[in-house]
Amino acid sequence: MKAADERRRAFTGLVVAAALAAGLPALAQVNPLPPEKAFRFSARLVDAQTVEARFMIAEGYYLYRDKIHFAIEPVAAGLTVPRLPEGKIKEDQFFGRVETYRGDVVVKLAVKDPKPGQQIVIAAESQGCADIGICYPPTVQRVTLALPVGSVVPDARGDSPKKSWFN
Amino acid sequence: MLAIEAITARLRKIIVPAVAGAIALGLGIGVALWDHHPSDAAALLALSLPDIQGTPQSLSQWRGKVLVVNFWATWCEPCREEMPQFVQAQRELGPRGLQFIGIAVDQRDKVVQFARELDLNYPALIGGYEAVDLSRALGNRLAALPFTVIIDRQGRIAHTQLGALKPGQLRSIVGNLL
Repeated sequence: MKAADERRRAFTGLVVAAALAAGLPALAQVNPLPPEKAFRFSARLVDAQTVEARFMIAEGYYLYRDKIHFAIEPVAAGLTVPRLPEGKIKEDQFFGRVETYRGDVVVKLAVKDPKPGQQIVIAAESQGCADIGICYPPTVQRVTLALPVGSVVPDARGDSPKKSWFN
Repeated sequence: MLAIEAITARLRKIIVPAVAGAIALGLGIGVALWDHHPSDAAALLALSLPDIQGTPQSLSQWRGKVLVVNFWATWCEPCREEMPQFVQAQRELGPRGLQFIGIAVDQRDKVVQFARELDLNYPALIGGYEAVDLSRALGNRLAALPFTVIIDRQGRIAHTQLGALKPGQLRSIVGNLL
C-alpha cells in the first residue's frame, strides 16, 4: 500500500515536471532534425516512365515551393516536371509573395526518354525551415530507380543516398 | 489545521520532485541550447571573406573587440528578424568595443539589397562552403541558420547559438564581455 502511494506520488511528480518542462518553448530546439529527416524525400515508379516523387515534411517544418527542383541522371533520359501544387501563401517582407508546403507534397514526374532496364537517379533539391526558428541550406536528396525491362514495374525503393549541397 | 498540514505535506511530496525534475530538464535543455565552446576562435578569426564590394576582409582585423559573428541568409526569415536588434546593439555598444560581423550564406545581390533595406551598420561578408564548414566545426552540425558565435577580447569563444538570440540574452552575454 505504502509502496503504491510512493509510486503514485513519484508519477504525479513526473507528470507535473513534464507539464512544467513542456512550457519551455525551446524544448524542440535541443534536437532539430537533419534536413533529410525533416524533409524526407522518396520516389517510386508508377509506370514505365512516370515517377511519383514525394516529400514527407515533418510536423513543425516547412518547405519553400520555389526552392524545389528536380533533376534526372543520366541527363539524357530527360525529365518533365509539372507545375508544383499550390502552397500556402505568405507575405514575406523581403521576398513578397512566397508559398510554403507542410505535410506531404506529391509530384508526378515524366521520364522523357526511358530505356528499358535503365537505372536512373532522381535528384530532388529542397530548402526549408523549422518553426522553432531555424532554416536549412538547400539540400539534395537522391533516389535510384530501375526502369522496367518489360511492361512490369519492379519494386520501387525509396531509400535515398543523400548528399548535402554543401558537402 | 491537521488537514491543512497533511495536504501541505502531501503537496510538498509532489511539488519537490516535480520542481527538481523540471529544473533538471531545464538545465539539460539550457546546456544543450547554449552549447558553450570555451575554445579558441583562431580558425574563425583566420577566415578571410569578400565583403559586398568584393574586397577580401580578414576577421583578424577586429581581434581585441568583443565580436558577434552571425551566420545568416536573406532566405532565412528568423535570421532577418533578429538583425534589427544587431543594428541597434552595434550603434549603442560599438563605441564600447562591440563589433558585429555578418557572414551571409547567400548571393551577393540579395545581401546588398537587404543590407540597404536594413541600413546595416556592420560588415556583411559573403560566405561560401568554407564558412559553412567552419560553422559546422563550431558546433552547427546541421549548417542551419541563424548561427551566432560570440568571441571575447582575448579571442576565446564565449557563446555559440543556433537560432535567434533573444534581445535580453544578447545584452547579458555581451555586457559581461565588454
